[in-house]
Amino acid sequence: MQRWQYLVRRLLWAIFTILFVLILNFFIFRILPGDPARGGIRDPRLTVEAQDAIRVRFGLDKPVINCFETLNPIKFGSCAVNPFDTQLFIYISNLAQGELGFSYHSNRPVAEVLIERLWNTLLLIGVGQVLAIVFGMILGIVAAWKSRTAIDYTALIFSLLAWSLPTFWLGIILLFWGSRELGLPVGGKSTPGLNGTSFELLVDVIKHMLLPTITYTVVVLGQYMLIMRSTLLDVLSQDYILTAKAKGLSNIQILRHHALQNAMLPMVTIIALNLGFTVAGAIQIEAVFSWPGLGGAIFESVGRRDYPVLQGAFLLLAVSVIFANLIADLTYTMLDPRVEVG
Amino acid sequence: MTRTIAVAWKAIRHSPMTLVGAFMLLLSIFVAVFAPVIAPYDPEAVVRVTINDIYVAPNADHIFGTDDAGKDVFSNFVYGARISLTVGFFASFIAVFIGGTLGILAGFMGGRVENIIMRFTDIMLVIPDLPLAVVLVALTKPSLINIILVIGLLGWTGTARLVRSQTLAVKQRKYVLRARAIGAGDLHIIRKHILPIVMPLMVANTVLVISLAILNESTLAFIGLGDPTALSWGQMLNFAFNRGAMSAGAWWAMLIPGLGIVWVVLACTLFGHGLEQILNPRIEVHHLSADKQLSDYKKSKPLVTSSVVLKSDDSPSSDILLEVRNLSINYINTEHKSQKPALAVSDVSFTLHKGETLGLVGESGCGKTTLMLSLMRLLPPAGRIIDGQIMFQGTDILSLSEQNLNGLRWKDISMIFQGAMNAMNPVKSVGDQIAEAILLHTTIRDPKELDNRIRELLDLVGIAANRKDDYPHQYSGGMRQRAMIAMALACSPQIIIADEPTTALDVMIQAQILDLLMSLKERLGLSIIFVTHDLGVIAELCDSVIVMYGGMTAEYASVDKIYNAPQHPYTRELLRAFPDISHLSQRLVAIPGYPPRLDALPAGCRFAPRCPAVIDRCHTDIPLLHQTDGDQFASCHLMETQ
Repeated sequence: MQRWQYLVRRLLWAIFTILFVLILNFFIFRILPGDPARGGIRDPRLTVEAQDAIRVRFGLDKPVINCFETLNPIKFGSCAVNPFDTQLFIYISNLAQGELGFSYHSNRPVAEVLIERLWNTLLLIGVGQVLAIVFGMILGIVAAWKSRTAIDYTALIFSLLAWSLPTFWLGIILLFWGSRELGLPVGGKSTPGLNGTSFELLVDVIKHMLLPTITYTVVVLGQYMLIMRSTLLDVLSQDYILTAKAKGLSNIQILRHHALQNAMLPMVTIIALNLGFTVAGAIQIEAVFSWPGLGGAIFESVGRRDYPVLQGAFLLLAVSVIFANLIADLTYTMLDPRVEVG
Repeated sequence: MTRTIAVAWKAIRHSPMTLVGAFMLLLSIFVAVFAPVIAPYDPEAVVRVTINDIYVAPNADHIFGTDDAGKDVFSNFVYGARISLTVGFFASFIAVFIGGTLGILAGFMGGRVENIIMRFTDIMLVIPDLPLAVVLVALTKPSLINIILVIGLLGWTGTARLVRSQTLAVKQRKYVLRARAIGAGDLHIIRKHILPIVMPLMVANTVLVISLAILNESTLAFIGLGDPTALSWGQMLNFAFNRGAMSAGAWWAMLIPGLGIVWVVLACTLFGHGLEQILNPRIEVHHLSADKQLSDYKKSKPLVTSSVVLKSDDSPSSDILLEVRNLSINYINTEHKSQKPALAVSDVSFTLHKGETLGLVGESGCGKTTLMLSLMRLLPPAGRIIDGQIMFQGTDILSLSEQNLNGLRWKDISMIFQGAMNAMNPVKSVGDQIAEAILLHTTIRDPKELDNRIRELLDLVGIAANRKDDYPHQYSGGMRQRAMIAMALACSPQIIIADEPTTALDVMIQAQILDLLMSLKERLGLSIIFVTHDLGVIAELCDSVIVMYGGMTAEYASVDKIYNAPQHPYTRELLRAFPDISHLSQRLVAIPGYPPRLDALPAGCRFAPRCPAVIDRCHTDIPLLHQTDGDQFASCHLMETQ
């Protein structure tokens, strides 16, 4: 198979997956018990007319999909003949225009709420991921290099422990210790109302980021270390490493020129796959440190039963992870010359 | 049942990781089961609480203090184990059941079914778990059952992939194909052949899924989606964090439940990974581990040391390239150091002259490859050179520093490995891999000159120069072996070791490669050590021959003497087992029995159990090498009596 054919196939697959997520996302909020309309507007003082008005405002008066009565939990309005006048179609056409509906809580457009928070999450996850990848890989390389020595076992135990830590709990413990002993801020992204030079503001943000970033790094790092170690051990057992040794290359040269490139291949895929799991980490960390990111939005929306925001956040996260996987696939194609055969 | 347990115990006994994990897990199950006995207070009991009872620091009454409701943290912790473990176990059973069923279906049915299942799994794998779980639990009522269902329904993807690949592997095994051929039904095959193999892996996987489920449950509980009536460890943390433990400084209320989660998750991780390693042991050679090949050198006495003086002394010494004297190599057991080492090579000596081709022949596992690897000190981690000398043009290879040795490797002695598919780095182009050797050992630096040299080398072995930027997988098997030869020639070495260079190739290609080696030998005046189990190749290519058996030299002589006047019974049997074109009427005779295992060698002559000319002495004494003729040596007691 040609390389570009492979790429096109991956791209089509990513698009298909996104479509699947769109549909899933749409139906989950409509099939499950807990009517989104009644759930969001559970105020007994509201008159029936007012409730209906709200339903109209959120587009809940339309049938879910055309003439599919069982999927229309509200039974409000008629089973329209016009297939374009349904919730599903409106949902998708709105999405295409970047509209995710309105927050039940703040009445602001969901897209607007989420975008400003997305950047904060990206900042936290970005820095944390880079640190975790760098330290995790270094630790994994050292452990594999010094396999079956005290160094290896120490690194192994540390990583297994890091892997077993509930993210939010590590956050709580660090927060408790950091805010009491080190005088670090207890949450948020910056000190409200702080005026100063841009340098002082930067230091302030870094102080706020310190603990959440450490938490994120430690929790994610363990896995990267374990995977790097085991992949590298695999690679180091391969025949071509023996060939390289017979050629007279020093161990360091073999590691740099032969082993690492081969060990990196599975790492690329695993880092991307892991993003899905690390999203979970972000939710917990943002909840603990009141970090104003997407995870925090999910946490708050759960409490407020603010479904449009939840729905939007889930969509945004899923699509980001799918894109990350696509990028990993493309990177893999560039790194591994063997891809074009299959 | 007891048998299963006995088998399991035997496997687990030697794995500290599994043992520690199992112990930790059992302890937590014990705590959960006997919670009413262990906990000093009943968490359900209604007690009048005053403000002074809230967040009391650890003391004699409450060893882990009290929580936001004035309840004993230790008692809550003990009862919390019940809830956390229940969720973990049930959710993982659901997940493994779904994943296992889908995995077996996909692996067994193949085709369209497999495609659909695996595509669906792929999709579920990229959708982030927790946000989906959050949404699902938030939309339903957060009861314990719902939480178990949601975690179980979202956690099966890993299991499905694992079970599918395992099922695929089992399905291809001979006995399954045979069962199918005699008409066994699908269900029968799944029950009798696939489940017994896949089941243990699923058990190991379940343990790992439990840890994920417990982590997920605690996370859901912490972000406020737990069952508020079931005080799991996550729920305890949720209450503590949201009800002022932080500002009250009540570290105990936050530390203790978390430690419980870490304990169980770590237990499952250790236990599960330990089981996986037992079920799928990985063979790890680690070519770059600390060099211990010489750590036993001259420390332990070799079993056999003959005093025979080899022919080296009667040749003009300038002519000798390589001289190996009384070389002995053991393989130690790296896992259990107390076990007896395997004697891979015992007391082997030979010389290699300029332009000579030496054949090394013997059955698989007789120490040929070990001997060759030791010449460049390339033994795997378990290999130990315990005695002998390897002299290359007057330098003792065994006393060289690592750095000087690297200068000698490939520049003076290079190697053509068996199976060139794996001997070349898959992600580097063939040209780059040749260039690497040139840049390392020669003075060529100019890119143009380098390029010319690579083209010249490829041309020499009959590969079109424009294929130099291709990757090994783009070459055919024969071409890869040619490229390997080009690489071996890259620095114009004095000696080339060819370790069964044609094993994996078909007959036509084998002949081509051998022709190529012969012509190169003549054109470049190469000295070659040729390892093979093909006597025909030896006759065609070699000047002298070593016949190895069980790690020892059976016979060492010129190729003429070996073929026309073999002395050792093994050599004779070997020749009888080999088709001779000139005597087609002769019947081929296989040697009965098998070569000895190197870790369980017979006490006397290693060939004695299979030898047609065996005498009593052969079973007790190890025969030493005897000079039978000017340049012919054989290790056999019969030679002595003659």
